Amino acid sequence: MKDTEGLIVENENLKKIIKDRSDFFSITAHKLRTSLTALKWTLRMFLNKDLGNISDEQKKYLEKLIENNEKSLLLINDMLISNRENNNSSVKLNVTNINIIELVEKIIFIFYGELKNKNINLILNKDENSKLQVKCDEEMIIGVFENLIENAIKYSPNGGEIKISIKKDEKSNGVLISIQDNGIGIKEEDTSKIFSKFFRAPNAIEKENTGSGLGLFTTKSYVDKNNGSIWFESVKGEGTTFFVLLPTD
Amino acid sequence: MKKILIIEDDEFLQGLEATKIKNSGYEVITALNGEDGMKRISDSKIDLVLLDLLLPNYDGFQILKKIREGELNKDIPVIVFSNLSEKSDINKANELGATKFMIKSNFSLEELVEYINKILIK
Repeated sequence: MKDTEGLIVENENLKKIIKDRSDFFSITAHKLRTSLTALKWTLRMFLNKDLGNISDEQKKYLEKLIENNEKSLLLINDMLISNRENNNSSVKLNVTNINIIELVEKIIFIFYGELKNKNINLILNKDENSKLQVKCDEEMIIGVFENLIENAIKYSPNGGEIKISIKKDEKSNGVLISIQDNGIGIKEEDTSKIFSKFFRAPNAIEKENTGSGLGLFTTKSYVDKNNGSIWFESVKGEGTTFFVLLPTD
Repeated sequence: MKKILIIEDDEFLQGLEATKIKNSGYEVITALNGEDGMKRISDSKIDLVLLDLLLPNYDGFQILKKIREGELNKDIPVIVFSNLSEKSDINKANELGATKFMIKSNFSLEELVEYINKILIK
């Protein structure tokens, strides 16, 4: 009996330690983001000559700094996703009816800056029923589409095209969302490992050397937890399409 | 000239935002904490508020709530401009009536000004 009580106390202590660590992590990430945002805006002001003329050589260095700063911001996003995943691993799902078209549109807006910077044309094909709903944990589903859209942008060429389609899947009675890019694609030998923890395909590292290898692992884990399915079709050098099937009841 | 109130506690970020917005043809007033921000909304005729969320005294959520409840300037456009990115924070701000939620690190100041222009031209 005493042992059980001891375990309960110990369990509570551990929960508190995990929560404190997670809170510390979130606060640190927020502070880091603020510093990097200040750096991003200042560098852009220099680049836009808001603070006076710059030489061609200075311009080159500034562009490199901006690129590296963006990579650091992406890494922080990955760290936050990973932290969220650790917190969610033992948390009960909060399942609600979600208007999936509205949710995807909101996420696309978050990436407005990145899309514009890379001059990427994003086409959204929506189901005629604009109130199409899925029954899932909203926070997790946001994580899924943030990650898939971010990847599509990251691995697309400048001036590329991303097509997102949301439609009712009559066969399963679910909703099928596809995200198609014309980016670097996935090599055949890497296709079986793409959802593994910490895996990053060599051609992905070549294109984008930062990244934790947690993005697609987390994405799949969120989809699975919500009784959905995720798969992809890809041709190396031509692009990739991710499909996510989500339940409606 | 349209007037924009920036409520932002990080002086350096506030300075950058103010410079860019002023150079884009707006009058700018600023507040470094929630209390001062609310005072300025009541005192002056403001056309748009750029609102950070983590602030000393009153936080951005409390300010937004007070605005929409009609204690201040009920229908004023409010762009929530924060580095908080959790869904719960975004939802809370939207439910309280934010005109737009923008995550600072995802946007450049030029893009911020584009959004301000869009909202104020309407």
